[in-house]
Amino acid sequence: MTDVIVTENLRKQFGQLEALRDLNLKIEPGVCVGYLGPNGAGKTTTIKILTSLMRPTGGRAFLNGTDVVRNPKQALASVGAVVETPQLYPQLTPVEILSYFGHLRGLDRNEIRERTIVVLEDVKMSESANKRTGDFSTGMKQRVAIAQALLHDPSILILDEPTIGLDPRGMIEVRELIRHLKLRDFTIFMSSHLLNEVQEVCDKVAIVDKGTLLAYDTVANLSKLSEGVVSLTAVEPITANQCASVQALPNVRSVTRVDTSELLIAVDGGLREQAELLAQIHRVGIRVAFYRPAQSAIEDVYLRLVPEEEV
Amino acid sequence: MPPSDLRQLFVVSKYELLKYLRGKRLLIIIALIAIIGALNLVVPPTIGSGYDPDPVAFSSGMLNEIGILVVLCATFFGADAIVSEFEQKTGLVLFSNAVKRHVVLLGKFVASAVVSVGAVALYYAITVIAVVVIDGSVAANTSLSFLYALAYLFGILAIAYLFSVVLKSSVYSIVLTFFTFFLILPIVDRVGSTIAHFKPWFSITFASGIILNIFQQPYPTDVVRTVQRTFGSTTRTLTVAQYYPSVGQGLAVIFVYFVVGLVLALLIMRTREM
Repeated sequence: MTDVIVTENLRKQFGQLEALRDLNLKIEPGVCVGYLGPNGAGKTTTIKILTSLMRPTGGRAFLNGTDVVRNPKQALASVGAVVETPQLYPQLTPVEILSYFGHLRGLDRNEIRERTIVVLEDVKMSESANKRTGDFSTGMKQRVAIAQALLHDPSILILDEPTIGLDPRGMIEVRELIRHLKLRDFTIFMSSHLLNEVQEVCDKVAIVDKGTLLAYDTVANLSKLSEGVVSLTAVEPITANQCASVQALPNVRSVTRVDTSELLIAVDGGLREQAELLAQIHRVGIRVAFYRPAQSAIEDVYLRLVPEEEV
Repeated sequence: MPPSDLRQLFVVSKYELLKYLRGKRLLIIIALIAIIGALNLVVPPTIGSGYDPDPVAFSSGMLNEIGILVVLCATFFGADAIVSEFEQKTGLVLFSNAVKRHVVLLGKFVASAVVSVGAVALYYAITVIAVVVIDGSVAANTSLSFLYALAYLFGILAIAYLFSVVLKSSVYSIVLTFFTFFLILPIVDRVGSTIAHFKPWFSITFASGIILNIFQQPYPTDVVRTVQRTFGSTTRTLTVAQYYPSVGQGLAVIFVYFVVGLVLALLIMRTREM
């Protein structure tokens, strides 16, 4: 099956800063991909290149097989996008904004009317359909932006931090909406800094840092990487020596510092080995407050792949 | 599939016009037209000088402010048309659509031109009605003057769009547009003509002189003469010059501003990033 979102050695340079370094990504149709990375990792840059808001310094990007840089009009024909927190034209109402973008995308009057009702209902904005957007909150604008992205029933949905600016109820509703869209065979490419959100909603996860793809796999496969990982929280800050001592203990595969007093420790073996390790950690001089299996698989993988200073 | 570029251009223009109709700027321009028109019609009888019985002189007087109106239209409807999409982040939605950047720019340009042409036409209509009511006939060449005013409008609007594409702030673009055509180029024109004694033919504001000069019969030509002036015990020879753009030269300069401004704006627009 042809991949619907492809980047080939995608590069983007801002002066001396390399925002993307030969990013290679292939996303097959019908999957929901969470795009994770710390601030400045290159998530929004990737999305802006894919949506023709930015030009790459090198490499290529394809949507449905069409080069985004060479033929953005065709490439974006079946794409709906919400990038960053977009603003809306304050003089227009949601219905007029949807009509504007519907006509730009080639929908006829009847299609626009019917789809407007559906998508505004989807994003719970029907009651404000005919109010000018000038006084809308950030969350309301975000909902209308999502509605415009869905208007023409695109095959690819590109969302950059879709729940940012929404209140908790709004966040839950958008996640529900994305789950609902997954059932309709959309390909969804969604950046987020909310790891749990990605784990809840997405089928696959791409982790990027410093413009380089660190991991791209299914949530299930990535979860396997965090098997046998325990999270340790100490009463006092853990010194570098203590950290090195833990690393040297038997059965310890790796140690990742989460913050000054928290470590993620990958342990070979089962409960017996983990219990033995706890006893040895006490001997190293670390006063343990909490010692438990790591809870969020994606969170653990993320923390292990992305260096501490970036978190 | 998205519609043709031409169809999309029409869609962009339509919704840009809707935004102008809903915004305050159009109201401000209409209010200014009403104020300028009212001042021209109310002040003469109020101060007892009465209206000029010559339709040409009356029209020229009424249309004296047309240059300011054109600059204000370009400033209000062109100067931030593009930069605001980037600055206010509305472009994040618009430009991520399947629409070419140059189509967006041209669509917006058409909308700016339509609303500005409407404003200039309204002022000419007020002038024509006033002249017919007061003097009984329309001044010859009023229609030509109107066409030249529209040409000037298009030239300035193209440069305003260029500023809007290049600059990163709406305020800078608005200020630069207004001061370039209201202050800087008129100063260049005046300094060139009266002090440096060169003809500022390259200036679009100088070229805009054809809008009012066309009322004069015969059409004025450059006058450069030397006069003797005595200051105390010394007598000095001074050069006095009055330069006028010819119609052909004026239109050519305006056309160059229009083409260069719009082509550069289109080229830069293609590469501008959000």
